[in-house]
Amino acid sequence: MKTQRRGPQPAAGPTPPVRRAGLFGRMIAPVREASGLPKWILWAGIVITVIFVVLAVFAPLIAPFDFDQYRSVDGARFAKQAAPSSEHPFGTNVQSTDVLSRVIYGSRTALIVVLIAVAFAMMIGVPLGLISGYRGGRMDRVLLLIMDTLFAFPYLLLAIVIAFLLSESIGRGVMSAAISISVIYIPQYYRVVRNHVLSVREEPFVEAARAIGAKPRTIVRRYVFSNVVQSVPVIATLNAADAILTLAALGFLGYGIQPTEAAEWGYDIQRAIADAGAGIWWTGLFPGLAIVLLVTGLTLLGEGLNDVINPVLRRRRLKRVEIPVSEKTT
Amino acid sequence: MAPSRWLRFATLLAALSLVAAACGGDDGGGEQGGGDDGGNETATIIHGTTDPWQSFAPAGSVDLPSWNVIYNVMETLLTIPPGGDTPEPLLAESCDFDDAQTYTCTLRTGVTFHDGSTFDAEDVKFSFDRNIGIADPEGASSLLASLDEVEVVDDATVTFHLNKPDATWPFMLTVATTAIVPSETYSATEIQDDQEVVGTGRYQVAEFRPGEQVVLEAFDGYWGDPPANGRVIVQLFDTSSALKLALEQGEVDIAYRNMTPTEIDDLRSAEGVAVVEGGGTEIRYLVFNLDQEPFNELAVRQAIAMTVDRQAVADNVYNGTVEPLYSMNPVGLAGHIDAFADEYGAAPDLAGAEAVLGDAGISTPVELEVWWTPSHYGDLSADEYAEIQRSLEESGLFTVNLKSTEWDAYTEAAFTGQYPSYQLGWFPDYPDADNYLASFYASDTFLANGYANDTVDELIATEKGSTDPAERIAAFEEIQRIAAQDVPIVPIWQGKQVAAVREGITDVEQTLDASFIFRYWVISKA
Amino acid sequence: MPKQTTSLRTYALTRLALAVPMFLLLLTLVFLLMRVAPGDPISAALGGRLSQEELQIRREAAGYDRPLIVQYFEYLGDVATGDFGTTISDNRPVTGMIVQNGAATLELTMVAMLIAVLVGIGIGLVAGRYRDTPVDVVGRLFGIVIYAAPIFFLGFLAQLVFGKWLGWLPTSGRASPVVTFELNTPTNLFIVDALIAGDWAALSDILKHLVMPATTLGLVTGGIFIRLVRVNVLQTLQGDYIEAARARGLSERSVVFRHAFKNALVPVITVMGLQFALLLSGAVLTEQTFNWPGLGSELIRYLDNRDYIAVQGIITFFALVVVGMSLLIDFVNAWVDPRVRY
Repeated sequence: MKTQRRGPQPAAGPTPPVRRAGLFGRMIAPVREASGLPKWILWAGIVITVIFVVLAVFAPLIAPFDFDQYRSVDGARFAKQAAPSSEHPFGTNVQSTDVLSRVIYGSRTALIVVLIAVAFAMMIGVPLGLISGYRGGRMDRVLLLIMDTLFAFPYLLLAIVIAFLLSESIGRGVMSAAISISVIYIPQYYRVVRNHVLSVREEPFVEAARAIGAKPRTIVRRYVFSNVVQSVPVIATLNAADAILTLAALGFLGYGIQPTEAAEWGYDIQRAIADAGAGIWWTGLFPGLAIVLLVTGLTLLGEGLNDVINPVLRRRRLKRVEIPVSEKTT
Repeated sequence: MAPSRWLRFATLLAALSLVAAACGGDDGGGEQGGGDDGGNETATIIHGTTDPWQSFAPAGSVDLPSWNVIYNVMETLLTIPPGGDTPEPLLAESCDFDDAQTYTCTLRTGVTFHDGSTFDAEDVKFSFDRNIGIADPEGASSLLASLDEVEVVDDATVTFHLNKPDATWPFMLTVATTAIVPSETYSATEIQDDQEVVGTGRYQVAEFRPGEQVVLEAFDGYWGDPPANGRVIVQLFDTSSALKLALEQGEVDIAYRNMTPTEIDDLRSAEGVAVVEGGGTEIRYLVFNLDQEPFNELAVRQAIAMTVDRQAVADNVYNGTVEPLYSMNPVGLAGHIDAFADEYGAAPDLAGAEAVLGDAGISTPVELEVWWTPSHYGDLSADEYAEIQRSLEESGLFTVNLKSTEWDAYTEAAFTGQYPSYQLGWFPDYPDADNYLASFYASDTFLANGYANDTVDELIATEKGSTDPAERIAAFEEIQRIAAQDVPIVPIWQGKQVAAVREGITDVEQTLDASFIFRYWVISKA
Repeated sequence: MPKQTTSLRTYALTRLALAVPMFLLLLTLVFLLMRVAPGDPISAALGGRLSQEELQIRREAAGYDRPLIVQYFEYLGDVATGDFGTTISDNRPVTGMIVQNGAATLELTMVAMLIAVLVGIGIGLVAGRYRDTPVDVVGRLFGIVIYAAPIFFLGFLAQLVFGKWLGWLPTSGRASPVVTFELNTPTNLFIVDALIAGDWAALSDILKHLVMPATTLGLVTGGIFIRLVRVNVLQTLQGDYIEAARARGLSERSVVFRHAFKNALVPVITVMGLQFALLLSGAVLTEQTFNWPGLGSELIRYLDNRDYIAVQGIITFFALVVVGMSLLIDFVNAWVDPRVRY
């Protein structure tokens, strides 16, 4: 009797051995397995973010002029507050500088500051959360109190005051902006990591590791850290999105970066509000759109990552289950 | 069903607001609010400004917006008339120097305060004594440094005994800090509450919402001519762009103080709005610290004076609302000469600057550190100093390192000699050259920039001690010449006073003069 | 071993006890921040006009040069007695300033919160219910994009479109100058005051001034709520009791509306309370953009003037509000869900 063929032939021979993916492989596995809408969200986020990263990194090559350049190479001054034209696609602003160039250089400022800020916040918040969660006790309670207090307070007020103070001591540069932003995000990392640690700490495998005499450092590194680290990219990305808004807010209020040092979107919008009253729209519209786009991109990236990583929300692509057809004939 | 209930509520609320908004009619124009605007003298004028008030106490304020209110609600013994520049009698009927250190005034009779008490010499003595006695940190009692004692000769006569010859004393009597307050109601030791201001002026304070608006209403019992309007609402705005929109939409009648040049340009072509200008004596300048390099070198200072392009700043940054300034004694004050133009030429002289530096053996480009402050002098400071940096660097003779910090830390550092060079501005207390030149060039000024010239000090003493105008003018001119040669400070620009008014508002130009007294009582509304 | 649930009263007391150190911490932070920086109010006001000796004399007279510890305890004592002092730069009693400007901020944030809740819950529920359909995508995208737009950018656009080009709406202030003068304001909440006075013209003027700032702030805050509500709806819809309800044959509509939504919203209520801090941050930006005379814009102004009596007062007030809100939320949470108690 001939067997009935169903679908594609199964592969003959033994099933190939399953290779255990490394840390990185495990981390991006959900991304590769994503399907449907979450996948589009994720990729939209990635594309937008990459565009801005490219703009930031290659700013000197892409931007037509320097961010504070007010005249062309042959010495002729740019027009002041000129409407968009072929020479200045986004027009010029009140200091006779090219808006398009300032938008491009602004992405460089934004990404640098935000990268530093998020890195700082992570470098301080994550270890603190790990130690605090694992050790517990009084130190944990005190730290928790401090972090909760910082977290509960309106973040912008905190950032303003810190930026204000830093501007007095180290001037209004990239570092002071980055520090003031990072301080307000430390509690977030602390909390998330600490919560994770608290739940992982009670797991049997951690108890077992302790029972066989593993040092706390090993336990933390091998078991707790790698479990915890999965949620960090999502937080970091959403953090970055928020940090850009905070940087722009500081720039808008005047506590941001010295305008002669770098182009900054928020500061440009502050100058543009005076223009709005005169019907001049291009000096504010383009920096604003840049902020919206970049933050949206980062948020989509973060949300997309969350959709694919968070087990509650995750929807794996359903693979067709191949039931090997028996070759046996009766 | 939870969501639809909310939805219904939301729709209801939205509908309510729309209905209310529609029903209200056109309330954008604030003037329609009162019903009694038919006649001229009962009109309400709304003045929008972005300058916040500090306090309405003569003994407790130094800022122009506060003084504005004081000038309208209270009065001084003498005043500068609209468009004038010499003190004339106001609460005093006549005043004269008995000798170089004694000044006697005969006071007006029949004047009453807003609370009904009578004005007499006691009130004058009281006002001066309390000002000096309270010595409020936020006040201007230091202006009264030359006063020794106020003597009440009789009910209508007062003698000021000065501790040194001071020819500027009559001007001092026009300044808001010497406004007369009632001895019967004000405390001798404490600043009066802003909600209970009493004076002899044409207006009284009808309402004061701190940080938002102050409302002045004409005082029935005023001793002189009534004002040309019945009520003034001074409305505070955070930004000039908001003020401009409010003006265009008819929410305010006058926009005065701190409109940007861009906005003023736009208003010139706006419907229903006119821009009026008047001479002003507000100045901006760059101070050098002679104790710091490279500003200890005369050649460097002179070269900068020859290179800085004032016209570029005036045109590009301020759209022509300011004029290049060639002396620290502004145009419009007696004794003004264009000292810097005379010395170095009105336009930048790059060859000359290069020569000066070459002769002194200074290698170029010279590195300069220049400080400015972002908000105290307006947002345009950023643009102004960018422009100055450009003109200096384009010459090839300098490289400019710009730095900035907020006003508070800025003044502390600047006046303790920490900045090599820094931006500063000046408002006169009274329109006399002494208020400028002595404040900048005497050897012990607040600038603390290390400038000391004995000849200048002597000249200052001369002009302060002399009551002969010609002698004073000669002294002023000589000081300006010396200062132009020594260049401890470079004057940059002098600002006009610019206001934007709605159609129907007249006579604002009358009060835009060197005294900076914004006289609401001359303004009328059709 | 199951934890013993504590009584509500014990929880309340414990929570209160924790709130005190939190509050003290914030106060100390505020004090340090304001005092540690260089510069002082005297220089801010008189810097350009007087010599350094003069300024020093005045500083001493006002007591700014005493040892920090002394000033610190004086500060704590003042807060305890409710004496926040008088502002330096414009001689206003701080409590009066907080009441007057605080009411303005309250009015703005309450209306904005209302809009945020309506927008957030409305769109969030719908997006969660119709997961992964175009409706969901649009809803989520809207939430993301609107939150990505800085408040001052939306304000810029609003002023440009509605203020300049269309001329429909005023772009600053709570009411036109004449209305502000003529309206009697016992509560300083203008809407309430206008209703009390029955002044419809004033009410319309006030609402016209409120529309843009409140909508801007409300939309941006609502953007976050959309995300939160949606996630909660998704999680709720996966719950067992939903399966059970469906299995019992209840209509999908009944399942969704009566069970899922109600339960999805409970945690959202508490999150909304936590977002209060976010709302306050947004309020600062909104007030700056739209010239709204609230505590946020006053804070910026006093900060620039180094008026740290005023700044201390305002931030202390904010700290009180935040601690109070979080206490309230925790109580509500604990009352509703005993598992949360210690």
